[in-house]
Amino acid sequence: MPHVNYGRLMPTVYVDIGALPELVGITEKDGEIAIGALTVHRTLQRDAIVCRALPLLAYSAAQVGGGWQVHNRGTVGGNLVAMHPLYDIAPVLLALQADVEIQAPDGVRRAALGKILAETSHGLGTSSLLTRILLKPMTSDAGWAYEKLKITAGSYGSANAAAVVSLSGNKLSTLRVVIGAVSEQPLDASEALHGLLGKPWDAAAGARVESLCSALPKTLLDDQQGDATWRRAMAGVVARRAVQAAVANAQRTSK
Amino acid sequence: MATNMEEMLEDTVLLQCRVNNKPCELAIAPGTTLLELLREEMRLTGTHMGCMTGHCGACTVLIDGEVAKSCITLAATVQRKTITTLEGLKDADGKLTPIQQAFWDEAGLQCAFCAPGMVLTATELLKSNAEPTDDEIRTAMAGNLCRCTGYQSIVRAVRAAARVMKQLK
Ligand SMILES: Cc1cc2nc3c(=O)[nH]c(=O)nc-3n(C[C@H](O)[C@H](O)[C@H](O)COP(=O)(O)OP(=O)(O)OC[C@H]3O[C@@H](n4cnc5c(N)ncnc54)[C@H](O)[C@@H]3O)c2cc1C
Repeated sequence: MPHVNYGRLMPTVYVDIGALPELVGITEKDGEIAIGALTVHRTLQRDAIVCRALPLLAYSAAQVGGGWQVHNRGTVGGNLVAMHPLYDIAPVLLALQADVEIQAPDGVRRAALGKILAETSHGLGTSSLLTRILLKPMTSDAGWAYEKLKITAGSYGSANAAAVVSLSGNKLSTLRVVIGAVSEQPLDASEALHGLLGKPWDAAAGARVESLCSALPKTLLDDQQGDATWRRAMAGVVARRAVQAAVANAQRTSK
Repeated sequence: MATNMEEMLEDTVLLQCRVNNKPCELAIAPGTTLLELLREEMRLTGTHMGCMTGHCGACTVLIDGEVAKSCITLAATVQRKTITTLEGLKDADGKLTPIQQAFWDEAGLQCAFCAPGMVLTATELLKSNAEPTDDEIRTAMAGNLCRCTGYQSIVRAVRAAARVMKQLK
């Protein structure tokens, strides 16, 4: 809408999807959670299923900028399809290994969100609808964190990181990290951090996460949120902080 | 051949909603924002036009009791909803609500450009949380920018309103 208000987009047709019942609701069935594309951020923050089984998503939805006004109206589907590099939800859903369901004229397609984002950064076109987001509940031993580096409570992030970890003793047995707001697309750092699995989480591991994640972006955003050099440095910093907080969260959960 | 009137109607949406408790039925262009509808069609100028990007919160209204930014809301999407603007808050006898009174008493406004958004957001907050902490007040108000007060007096006003509303219960 800001683009429409400022004349950068001039739609001749508007399609209101707000009344499609298929896009509404959050359900859990056969070990899978389905979140309708019209679910607003405020619902993600408060829904009993999301709060219990996907606390990382509930928490990150509260970190979205724009205040309650945006939380009450902004949908998870619109947030994903806009494919805005500074938005918060895509990095989190990537860390949670979400699939998305897309309705096109030739049928329904289910694909990993990461695959869809690898295909395009310009939305789904005019003939497809994102209908649902499909996720497995987080495991009970998972520790999680979402770090958003931002100037004010209501603002976009300058670097964001979602982390999901699990520990075996003091060693990392799972480590998923996705970094947002530093490149055009969220960066899944999990593979780059593979070498840390089976190792204890300590200051040296933290430094390793920071340097590997700083090295990850091939191209960097350079905008009002910060210049490219700073964004590279912050990619590492938010990733380290997110893993640190996720480890602390896992340790608390296991007590 | 279509007449001009038919062409015109083809390009409009019939909107039925309630604004400040009055039922409304209007034919609107699909691209009309809720802000334009309220300010220009209905002359409800208590809803302010600010940034037009959804950042400042001056255009805040309540849609079914929840705050929304009317500059980024298409009017056609509020079909059968209840809209409350600042004008809709006061009693029939024109008395200010405890929240409006607290903003006045505590100097929660200076130029007052942000005040409609602040007051309406506080209205949603205090409906669901009668005794918010300062942190909760700040989180709730984060979608409203104020360039005069430095926010301290706004937080004080919401706190004062909460106290008064508790006594009234
Ligand atoms: C002031 C402000 C601050 C914000 N700050 C943040 C922030 O910090 N972090 C963050 O993550 N987000 C932020 N947002 C974005 C917000 O959270 C919304 O999620 C986002 O604006 C999408 O809004 P919407 O759901 O109304 O979608 P729309 O604006 O209606 O749609 C966005 C795009 O997606 C398409 N679309 C929508 N739904 C579907 C669907 N189901 N299938 C196919 N295409 C679809 C639309 O055609 C359009 O092209 C901010 C927004 C504002 C206004």
